[in-house]
Amino acid sequence: MTERLKASPILGLSDTETVKLDFDEVSFSSVRYWATRTMKWFKLRGFVILRSSENRYHIMFDRKVSWKQNMRIVAWVALLSHNQGLAKWFLMQCIKGCSTLRVSVKQEKPPPRVVYRFGTQDENAKDFMKMRKLVKKIEKKLQKTHDF
Amino acid sequence: MVKKIAVYGSYEAKVPSKQRYWIRRRDGIRQRYWKRTGRTKTVEGQGRYEFHGKGRDLYKAVIEAQHIMPKGFVDVSAEDFLKRPEKYGFEGEWIDREVES
Repeated sequence: MTERLKASPILGLSDTETVKLDFDEVSFSSVRYWATRTMKWFKLRGFVILRSSENRYHIMFDRKVSWKQNMRIVAWVALLSHNQGLAKWFLMQCIKGCSTLRVSVKQEKPPPRVVYRFGTQDENAKDFMKMRKLVKKIEKKLQKTHDF
Repeated sequence: MVKKIAVYGSYEAKVPSKQRYWIRRRDGIRQRYWKRTGRTKTVEGQGRYEFHGKGRDLYKAVIEAQHIMPKGFVDVSAEDFLKRPEKYGFEGEWIDREVES
């Protein structure tokens, strides 16, 4: 029998009312372009871009929307940007019924970090950052217990 | 709607193994039944917890989820999970493997 590495589970944040996007294999300028275009088209007020690994970015918008509107926005971006990764991620979120973005480390990938902010950040962005802090705290405590 | 903490990944868990048996009914149909044996088998799988609740409960639930593997997709409040973790999963351990978010 092959021996497997023991690992910690991946921690993420899920909800239905925050518009989130997960871009794979794209440059930062392209991600910023799509974030700005989406924000203006759907009047989402502001956004935060997080870098999850090389050429992989997460976008999270500030305004609260319904789940129906949320998926409408993600589908719109996936269709126009022709990003295969985003289209696949969109299907996964539809199956689950809520959208999730990773907060902790995932195998060799580091935890996502904020690289760009634009517009207002006082609604969903604020809540998301607060929860992210909590998850990071939990992760840190978990690592400490693993070390012992 | 509240924000939830998602705990997900691949795992190896010990699940109770079941044994099938048949009984011929009066009307002639052979009906299949399952009985629980005392044995367990180790299986690989993927699963996910979606926890919601207060900070302290969330922390405790995530710690508990380190060795209780979810039975598929489990959407539960952290408080309920802490009351009866065995209802929502099996004993096991998380393994390093590629998963979708």
